[in-house]
Amino acid sequence: MNLSFFDQFASPCLLGIPLILLSMLFPYLLISPQDNRWLSNRLSTLQLWFINLITKQLMLPLNKNGHKWALILTSLMTFLLLTNLLGLLPYTFTPTTQLSMNMALALPLWLATLLTGLRNQPSISLGHLLPEGTPTPLIPALILIETTSLLIRPLALGVRLTANLTAGHLLIQLIATATSVLLPILPSVSILTALILLLLTILEVAVAMIQAYVFVLLLSLYLQENI
Amino acid sequence: VLHSTRPLHTSQQCSAPVPPLPEKGGEVRHGLIPEEFFQFLYPKTGVTGPYMLGTGLLLYLLSKEIYVVNHETVASACILAVIIYGVKKFGPDVAAFADKLNEEKVASALAVKNEAIKDLETAIEQEKKEQWRVEGRSYLFDAKRNNVAMLLETNYRERLMTVYSEVKKRLDYQLAMQNLKRQKEQDHMIQWVEKSVIQSITPQQQKESVAKCILDLKALSRSAQAAA
Repeated sequence: MNLSFFDQFASPCLLGIPLILLSMLFPYLLISPQDNRWLSNRLSTLQLWFINLITKQLMLPLNKNGHKWALILTSLMTFLLLTNLLGLLPYTFTPTTQLSMNMALALPLWLATLLTGLRNQPSISLGHLLPEGTPTPLIPALILIETTSLLIRPLALGVRLTANLTAGHLLIQLIATATSVLLPILPSVSILTALILLLLTILEVAVAMIQAYVFVLLLSLYLQENI
Repeated sequence: VLHSTRPLHTSQQCSAPVPPLPEKGGEVRHGLIPEEFFQFLYPKTGVTGPYMLGTGLLLYLLSKEIYVVNHETVASACILAVIIYGVKKFGPDVAAFADKLNEEKVASALAVKNEAIKDLETAIEQEKKEQWRVEGRSYLFDAKRNNVAMLLETNYRERLMTVYSEVKKRLDYQLAMQNLKRQKEQDHMIQWVEKSVIQSITPQQQKESVAKCILDLKALSRSAQAAA
């Protein structure tokens, strides 16, 4: 079938039944269910070690109250990592390329951190709006700037993830198109483009992992400020 | 959760005891297709059967354009190349790491067990030593008893010695007193006798005795001169 460049971002639908939920649950096929064993097989051991590593790293800078967020942050990290990596396979729909989904993840979580901060320690939370050591005439302007930066955080979180993944996927598609079109015409240039595509693929793998990590890291940072 | 080592529908599922994990994973050829598939086709089509099936299927999909070659094909070739390279290069290391994690778990538990065994063995040694010590208890008590008896004996003898010396001191005192008295009486008597004798010497007698002494001395000197 002839694909346009944006067909990969269309929410999957089969005979009018939306399959988006199924595509969001796909990554969990890769995670082995909890086994009541002391020594499990290699895959389970590695996954358990990895989840322990993520949780420890995320929970290090947080105080005891922040440890309530361990489950949601670790599961968010696992979900984003697996979804992004799975999306690099051909003909695979990546849910995180949809702005709606990323905003649905970013906005409630960010708002939760903000409200936690405002409820438990309102003055400290508001105090973060003014960095230390600012000269007095700059204070009103700085308060406005910091408020804007605070309110734009959920938008930044969601759009960052969406834009990175969408741009990466689009670039792969474009360069792949260039390679396949140039193949009968100028094979040597086609080989060069194929090389670029190879490097880009490696970059995309890295970006997939980094973006997931950055999303969760920023959320944990916002949590640190407010809890 | 279905335990993969239990054949399907042969017995009830039960959680305990946990059935053992197989030593190695299932055999796969080319990293994807299980060996059982090749064994399944072997009786009918021999060794090349599955490969013919694969090639035929691929050519059928391509020639009938059921699978269309477009830009996604190129992209999939790239990602597959990356994946296969990654698996081939880092596969054994990751497997070794997973095995190491399990080994460490087992080793720490074994270490606990061995430590406990060692501690108990040391305790047994100590206990045996204490039992041996108990056997020598009678000797210990005898020695102590002798010690005490000797101390008592020494003390008794010291006190006996003290008594003897005290009594001797008292008797010596009495003796010295008597001696002193006798001595004094003697001295006094001698003095009185001398005093009376000296008083009784008249001057006449004195002159006579002095002249006699002079005559005696002359005679003595004469005899001494004669002898020499």
